[in-house]
Amino acid sequence: MSADQDAPPEWSDELGPNDGILVMSELTKQFGGITAVDELSFAVQEEEILGFIGPNGAGKSTTFNCISGIYPPTDGNIWYKGENVTDLPPYKMVKRGMARTFQSFRPLEDRTVLQNIALPLVPDKLFSLAGLRGETIKKAEGVCELVGLDDRMDMTPDELPHAGMLRLELGRALATNPDLLLLDEPFAGLSDPEVESISDLLKQLRSEAGVTLVVVDHNMRGLFPLIDRAVVIRFGELLAEGTPEEIRSDPMVKEAYLGGGN
Amino acid sequence: MSNSDLSERLDVEGGTFRQWLNPLNKPLRHKIGLLVLLLLAVLPVALTSSEALIFASAFFFAMFAMSWDLVSGYTGQISFGHTVFFTVGGYSAALLNMEMGLSPLMTIPAGVLVAALAGLVIGVPTLRLRGPYLSLVTLIAPLILFGVFRYFPIFGGESGLSGEIDNLFGLGFNDVIPVYYLAFGLFVVVLTVLLAVTRSDAGRIFTAIRESEDAVNSAGLNPAKFKIFAFVLSAAIGGLAGAAFVHTPSASPTPNTLLALAINIEIIIAVFIGGAGTIVGAAAGGLFFGLTRSFLEGSELVIPVANVAIAEVYLILLSVIALVIIYALPGGLLRGSIVGGRRVLNRNSDEDVATDGGEMVNPVAQILNNYRDFLGGDDDER
Repeated sequence: MSADQDAPPEWSDELGPNDGILVMSELTKQFGGITAVDELSFAVQEEEILGFIGPNGAGKSTTFNCISGIYPPTDGNIWYKGENVTDLPPYKMVKRGMARTFQSFRPLEDRTVLQNIALPLVPDKLFSLAGLRGETIKKAEGVCELVGLDDRMDMTPDELPHAGMLRLELGRALATNPDLLLLDEPFAGLSDPEVESISDLLKQLRSEAGVTLVVVDHNMRGLFPLIDRAVVIRFGELLAEGTPEEIRSDPMVKEAYLGGGN
Repeated sequence: MSNSDLSERLDVEGGTFRQWLNPLNKPLRHKIGLLVLLLLAVLPVALTSSEALIFASAFFFAMFAMSWDLVSGYTGQISFGHTVFFTVGGYSAALLNMEMGLSPLMTIPAGVLVAALAGLVIGVPTLRLRGPYLSLVTLIAPLILFGVFRYFPIFGGESGLSGEIDNLFGLGFNDVIPVYYLAFGLFVVVLTVLLAVTRSDAGRIFTAIRESEDAVNSAGLNPAKFKIFAFVLSAAIGGLAGAAFVHTPSASPTPNTLLALAINIEIIIAVFIGGAGTIVGAAAGGLFFGLTRSFLEGSELVIPVANVAIAEVYLILLSVIALVIIYALPGGLLRGSIVGGRRVLNRNSDEDVATDGGEMVNPVAQILNNYRDFLGGDDDER
């Protein structure tokens, strides 16, 4: 975008709008006197699976909230698909093709799993009957099948086990038809086989639908086989960036995050 | 919109629009609802004049309750000051009629517009934010309005507007039957509009906002837009009811009939008795509350021991009824009776499985089931 005044000049080594599908430049978020995210810059490349890791309280969820539009950043810029999206509200980000899941699930307790997943398929219009049409329900059923909830479509969210809730959250994000998906701790509380099955699903999304994924998680064993690359932050600042092997052997990361040793 | 698109839109759940309109294809509870409306339509035959007027007032009260339910029952944004819209609608219509001599057919739409405007003024700044701002602002809005009424002589202070107000279609105290039908007709119109809105996609989004605003936002839907729409539509309908009400012989534009704090409380209690977030529940709760209130107010019974006239403590009695209902049937009478009725009707369907794995069948249920087959239709929603 040539008209973007916030973009750095071409000779600069700062990240600019076209350095990836999602680019953050000097992103800062302060709450009162506390700096949760401190001049964080990194770029996400199209169709990659990026791990976004850091110890508890490092600012991972805050970064997600800034990207997805829940908080306006205090400073810095966010570009998505080359356009400045720094101050867009969440629903506009979703319309541009970015979806997210929440670490604490946000189910609609008053309706079935199928109706939960059908919500994003309803148009953002005041007068519409599209949601009553069989077509919408068929699409929602397709999404249920994709995330492995096809045998639980008529349950309500409180009848689902934890892994089922995660699949519901994932299904609702996928129903928005995203190009980029932000996943906040998808593996928390899952058993190893469940982690594996969710990982397979995520890989399938990338290979078949070309979805770019950014995954936050603490479960290194589950996360490292899935991701192409990782970004590590600490105290809201970038600590390291690289392939899982590089990250694993990085002494700074070891000290900060993996607790030294092995 | 092209023709084929339109017909496709009317193609509701596989049937044609005509099939959808046929009451015989409706689930049982819809049939019961239509039957009740039919009964209300022929009821004046059996009513005395004063009873007919009581019913007319109850219809208006039910409209107030339904308008509140659209915002607070559906989107979960609790309004404590919906009387502001009844008052703004009623006073605007009355003033335009008294001061400028406009006919009620002009002043009522004007009242609706002014009330919708008031809805925008209160709704836009408060509903764009998340949190209890709407509740806070609606809590003080009636107080401000009451202050305005006391300060400016044109509003007549606490005694309200005095003077001759033309009644809609010139209906006076001698035309109770037409007044009944006027109130009933308006009630049916409001009920239909609100049912159409809440059963369309917008209704699903309203309830989704009540459940989780984050989820709505992450579904690519703008929650503020839908909250403001619900609120302004609700204000307009409240204004319509208020404006039409002052043009009937049953009401006059005074703070006591339109603005009093007690009315806000009564509406909320009435909706909770019927069932919040259902519109039909609000309509039924509003009618029930309006009629019971008039009955108790007119009653000469005295509570023994305490030696208080029932007429003086009707609000306490109705509040106790509401508390009992909230305790026993948290979803209100409507949901309670749907669930209860379904349990009775589906006793021997495959959903209700006995502990031994077999089906629960008893003679009563079998008889009821035969009736159910006879009445036709199944309960598919909710």
